[in-house]
Amino acid sequence: MKRIHIILIIVIAVGIGVVVTSITSASTTVTFDKAFANEGKEYQIKGVLDKTKPIEYDPIKNPNLFAFYVFDKKNEERKVVFNGTKPENFEHTDTIVVTGKAVGADFVASKILTKCPSKYTDKKGPQATQQGVEPKEKEFKAVN
Amino acid sequence: MEYIGEQLIWGKLGNAAIIASFTGALLSAVSYFISNFSKTDSEKRNWIRTGRIGYWLNSISVISIFGILLHLLFNHRYEYHYVWEHSNNEMRMKYILSCLWEGQEGSFLLWTFWNVVLGNLLIWLSKEWESTVMTIYAIVQVFLASMILGIEVTDTLVIGSNPFTLTRLHPDFINMPFTQMADYLTKIQGRGLNPLLQNYWMVIHPPTLFLGFASTLVPFAYAIAGLWRKKYTEWLKPALPWTFFGIMVLGTGILMGGAWAYEALSFGGFWAWDPVENSSLVPWIVLVGAAHVMVIHKNKGQSLSAAFFLAIASFLLVLYSTFLTRSGILGDASVHAFTDLGMQGQLLVYMAFFIILAIVLWVRAMGGFPKHETEEHLWSREFWMFIGALVLTLSAFHITIFTSRPVINKIFGTEWAASSNEIHVYNMWQLPFAFIITGIMGFGLFLKYKKTDGNDLVRKLAPALFTSLIITIAAEVIFKYKVHEIPYLILFFSTTFAITANLDYIIRILKGKIPKAGASIAHIGFALILLGALISTSRSKVISENKSGVDLGEEFKNNENILLPKNDTLQMGDYFISYRGDSVAGVNIYHKVEYFKKDNGVFVKAFTLHPLIQTNPRMGNVSEPDTRHFLGRDIYTHVTYDSKLQERERERVEGRKMVDEEGYSIPTENLLGKGDSVFTSRHLVLLDSIIPITNSAELAQLKLTTQDIAVKAKLRVLSMDGQDYIAEPKFIVRGNFVEPVDVKLEKLGLKFSFYGIDTQNNKVKLKIAERKDDSQFIIMKAIIFPGINILWLGCLIMILGSVLAIIHRVSRKNANASY
Repeated sequence: MKRIHIILIIVIAVGIGVVVTSITSASTTVTFDKAFANEGKEYQIKGVLDKTKPIEYDPIKNPNLFAFYVFDKKNEERKVVFNGTKPENFEHTDTIVVTGKAVGADFVASKILTKCPSKYTDKKGPQATQQGVEPKEKEFKAVN
Repeated sequence: MEYIGEQLIWGKLGNAAIIASFTGALLSAVSYFISNFSKTDSEKRNWIRTGRIGYWLNSISVISIFGILLHLLFNHRYEYHYVWEHSNNEMRMKYILSCLWEGQEGSFLLWTFWNVVLGNLLIWLSKEWESTVMTIYAIVQVFLASMILGIEVTDTLVIGSNPFTLTRLHPDFINMPFTQMADYLTKIQGRGLNPLLQNYWMVIHPPTLFLGFASTLVPFAYAIAGLWRKKYTEWLKPALPWTFFGIMVLGTGILMGGAWAYEALSFGGFWAWDPVENSSLVPWIVLVGAAHVMVIHKNKGQSLSAAFFLAIASFLLVLYSTFLTRSGILGDASVHAFTDLGMQGQLLVYMAFFIILAIVLWVRAMGGFPKHETEEHLWSREFWMFIGALVLTLSAFHITIFTSRPVINKIFGTEWAASSNEIHVYNMWQLPFAFIITGIMGFGLFLKYKKTDGNDLVRKLAPALFTSLIITIAAEVIFKYKVHEIPYLILFFSTTFAITANLDYIIRILKGKIPKAGASIAHIGFALILLGALISTSRSKVISENKSGVDLGEEFKNNENILLPKNDTLQMGDYFISYRGDSVAGVNIYHKVEYFKKDNGVFVKAFTLHPLIQTNPRMGNVSEPDTRHFLGRDIYTHVTYDSKLQERERERVEGRKMVDEEGYSIPTENLLGKGDSVFTSRHLVLLDSIIPITNSAELAQLKLTTQDIAVKAKLRVLSMDGQDYIAEPKFIVRGNFVEPVDVKLEKLGLKFSFYGIDTQNNKVKLKIAERKDDSQFIIMKAIIFPGINILWLGCLIMILGSVLAIIHRVSRKNANASY
């Protein structure tokens, strides 16, 4: 066997190793029912922030504890607890991706990714403002 | 309807330039393509001339588009959607360039601009390769020009996204009320630039990165030309200096992105293995691999297929990266991917075209490559360079597979996502790769091409091995790596070995001849980058630990934020910190955080940092860290929460002031009869009695006549500590005017206002306001990054080394040419 063959075998082995770890190390995007059926296992959940429920954050008590409610794709709602500060403008968030695991009745997230609807795709359109006056939305309506 | 104040001429000019750029590129591509098949020299020369004219037309048009767009941005022409979307009047003009490339259209423009620059250089420099190399360049320009065309082929199929679309005609705003107003321009204001991008790194990072992307096209074009014209080895020589150039520029661009992330983002570091970052790193790694196998072939005639493969792969991976970041596919995986502009199909065609082209030409050339029968000797430089390139390829493969999860999900319907432990998994692979590569970087140069004597090698390497061992032991003493951190220590050893061995090589073998030492210097730079990254990430320390928080158990020990009340002093690591309040400058709110050291029991001020929060009601506030740089370490301070700002935000949303000038909150309105009581948050307020003021002395004191009415409410306030307080707010009607006299109980932080009487029920109308605690506070995070300056130094040294290598290659090339 030539040296090049040995190298080739090692390369293929490493390649397979990479592919395998990419699968084994990944978490899966699921819905809450799956995460709560497998308590303690890490999952990723994509959902929508429930804006009618309170966003709990009392920095004076604990600046690293932050909780909110999320609807998943199947419309199941759970409380999500995050160990960290409340991200800026969290209230404006629409879609939210949380990575973490079910612990008791709560979903404890170690990572949250928020998608602010206004951040990149503002579908609101230009708001007319006149020298710092509040948006003239009434004016629009009048014209309509 | 006639719209007032619109300047439509610029859009018309811009669109004409877009059409011209597309036409020019197409003309150039076709002419250059045909020139490859010309029978006679004069015919070929004619076609090449037409190709050049086409390319120049494209060049002039691209520069015009650039200029027009800049002009529109500078003049706030919000009738253009791109200008409306990416700028506004308030932003500072120095970021106007960032606006230009914030959007997809602008960044495609940037890319095509650099192709204009490089393409014209190649027209001038590529000589006999021009017809083929420029065919590739022109085809790329056709694709890039199509990205900004914005032509509707059918209702659903639109080619490109046009940067000169008018705001009122943009599909998002069809039938919006403002489109019906003739004078809408006087009323609209731009949406503004994403606050994250208002940073000087964002002015220079994208152009550098795109120049890097554009320069990967040079080795690609030469490799394709080599395959096409069956000149399997000749393409290497002209392509090599460009490959070094690409490595330098793309590498710098990537690190600038890292610097931006480090200084402006709240990643808490310069690299987060984010898919968007990764997708620009991968082409760079492959390009580095390509350069090395190209050098092997030039010197030894081996590894030709590898040279072809890597030179081609690097550009194809740039296309793949473009697809990943711009198709919207990374939406859930990365915070900073572009959103989908509906160009997924177009991007796929762009990518597929070049993949197929490369495969077809490769298959055609197979078997035609010159054979090289002899196997390299185990202890030869070329063998280990090859191994190095192979490891680089594996490293790139690993990152690509991990970054491609969203693509795999899309194809196979799986639902894999990055775990929260992702960085650890990346390190698990990349650490051994880095170890092998730095090891080879260390001993590789001491190997001769062909064969090296083993004993001789050990003797040559001994000084470097010994020195780096000493340094590693010293590092262990300083950084105290634990048993499970031994991989870090091993990598520390191999990187210091790479540095010392290359230094040794420059001094002893090259005898300090710097112009010839480009490779060694670049290697030292790269090793320093790795070393700096290793030290700063493995030994970064969050010093803002919050020990008072609720314990969530070992697994979620992530209490990295500390609450800092104004003017309080807290200990944080070796420092004592104090928040001194904020100051406003434009949209930025700066927080003054003072750091003290305790010296013999006395606080000595060490330094002051001003982490800021940029307020942006439309896109959300953004906080930007402030970092104190020392030679050996950085102290990074980041405000994650500002109580005052949150309060202000609430005031904005609710549209009223939450506290008055004296700090009292909005009062509650109460209706109290005699003996009634009401709770405030900390006290009980009881209406003891309602007493009309009839005493003439008291009336005189209030300057009242007997015609006026004066009543006082005697309130008893019971505080928590059981003490009783009395307050007597008065209600006065002087003539026709009601004139309540407020009473404050400063000690309790209460303010009473007797503002009316319910005469039917004999009740008093009482407003009670409570003073908010003036406990303004911030929550912040502070991290110490040791050794990060080694990384930036490494970057500069790598650039220097690359420049030397390019000069060396080019001058050697010219010397050869003159023979």
